[in-house]
Amino acid sequence: MTSNYAARIEALRDDALGIRRNVWRALHGAGSGHMGGSCSAADLLAALYFNHLRLRPDEPDWPERDRFVLSKGHANAALGAALARAGFIEDGVLDQFYAYQSSFGMHPDIKMPGVEMSTGGLGHGLSVAIGMALGARMQTKDFRTVVMLGDGELQEGSNWEGAMAAAQFKLANLTAILDYNKIQQSGAVAEMQDLEPLADKWRAFGWAVREIDGHDMEAIVEALDALPFATDKPSLLIAHTIKGKGVSFAEGSFLWHNNLVTDDVYEKAMSELGDGA
Amino acid sequence: MNDAMNKDVARPEWEVKAEDQSRLAFGLAVGELAGRDPKVVAISADTIDLFGLRGFLERSPERLIEAGIAEQSAMGMAAGLATTGMRPILCGYAPFITTRSLEQLRNDVAYANQRVVIGAACGGIVLAMAGGTHHAVEDLAIMRNMPNMTVIAPADARQTWHAALATEQLDGPCYIRLGGKFAEPPVTAMDADFQIGKAEQLRPGDDITVIACGALVAPALAAAEALAASGINVRVLNMHTIKPLDTHAILAAAAETGAIVTAEEHRTTGGLGGAVAELLALEQPTPMRMVGMPDEFAIVGPTARVREHYGLSEAAIAAACRDLLK
Repeated sequence: MTSNYAARIEALRDDALGIRRNVWRALHGAGSGHMGGSCSAADLLAALYFNHLRLRPDEPDWPERDRFVLSKGHANAALGAALARAGFIEDGVLDQFYAYQSSFGMHPDIKMPGVEMSTGGLGHGLSVAIGMALGARMQTKDFRTVVMLGDGELQEGSNWEGAMAAAQFKLANLTAILDYNKIQQSGAVAEMQDLEPLADKWRAFGWAVREIDGHDMEAIVEALDALPFATDKPSLLIAHTIKGKGVSFAEGSFLWHNNLVTDDVYEKAMSELGDGA
Repeated sequence: MNDAMNKDVARPEWEVKAEDQSRLAFGLAVGELAGRDPKVVAISADTIDLFGLRGFLERSPERLIEAGIAEQSAMGMAAGLATTGMRPILCGYAPFITTRSLEQLRNDVAYANQRVVIGAACGGIVLAMAGGTHHAVEDLAIMRNMPNMTVIAPADARQTWHAALATEQLDGPCYIRLGGKFAEPPVTAMDADFQIGKAEQLRPGDDITVIACGALVAPALAAAEALAASGINVRVLNMHTIKPLDTHAILAAAAETGAIVTAEEHRTTGGLGGAVAELLALEQPTPMRMVGMPDEFAIVGPTARVREHYGLSEAAIAAACRDLLK
């Protein structure tokens, strides 16, 4: 491992910590929010926004930019934190979570710079991303499209329509990343409507699939660098994650899917996370 | 109705090919728009032949995306394509493309305000024989309640052609309600001026106004003709655009004729009649009758017979006018 590479990984870990701290900050300002799924996605978002996606924060509508769709829109606090860190929006916007007339609500709004699609209703992002990938192909552009899926939302049948279509169209310029934190609003995914055997299902639908630890920054970077996983198939990266990652009392608990964030809780969380860049 | 005045005009290719069927006129307009703009792309939900798109597919296979029988995915893809600058035209069945993919339509298309044109074939009770699953008699009410959405119900194939071409100018989404696999009598002129949001007055009159859309425009004209024999002068407005509504034409008709009958192949709640009633109640309360369908799932039967059953007819429109003028 070169020192450059090690420094790059270390910087991305700092980015992820910064995203988590700002998730807690935004939720504290709002008084509550979807902490669990925002923090499970933080490492993936850091790698996407600060290493993988080709973007121009000062030109958010740059036609050649890579597209990212947050299908699990309830993790918008993490997306906002990434967009602020990347320079798409002012840092102060993060203090406007849920605020009156804010562009930064619970779910992404396409009117916010850097947001490619308004999401929030589950099971929408994949087909929208397929449209973007088709748009690239039809206009012979080489931008790539990445969509982040939640595990609970895979219970929506619309995803499987999209899974079929992306393979039919051989969209190698499309990547889906599954933030597989195993917990949804009311409990464990496996106890509600189990998704397993998940990798096999997607392979059977015609996707090239890899699985990683979604908190291992080296593994994330390596996987994203390896895209596309096949030349004539869409790629799925199953990232095994921990709901609420980074704060001990919130990790792995469905209670922290969406919860109140009091001053006391906020102080504890920030002290556990520690100071980041 | 206006055939006579078009008799000597050479019929353009689209008019001949559309065969008095709005779904085919729409499909031909897709080809025309695609020829004008390389960004235009058709999306089929297993509807290629329903829209007469087979020839287009053979000529330009790269410009037609087959989504299969998967309206949710089709609608989401349309929105995604539009974000990249493409101009998707989604061709679906009215009963399915409205309700099956309603959340995608609301969130991905209307809320995100994407330039997606939706052609909805078999609107109303075109598929009356198929049962309530295949009737689309709430689609206008649903679409009217989508901010950013333009809602058009053309009166015939000719108007469909012009309406579809007019969508080029729109910056947001648009829903166009179409007919099915049988002839729709032509009621508009081949080269009639068409403007989205501007009602077409098909007949002048001072005693009462019939405001109709889609398949009910022809019976509205016939009713006006019949009433003329009794000395009742009926103004007929073809309200092809349900949203944005031509409030000027409606308020003028209310002021000048003092009585309004609406006619649509749709439930009387929330569609054209609802839109007109909302406007008049607030701006200019005017005696009204609504010709349309009741709050029930429609019976099965041949379309013409089911139309009669629900009073979607010349006789029912004429009766509503007489009732109002009593």
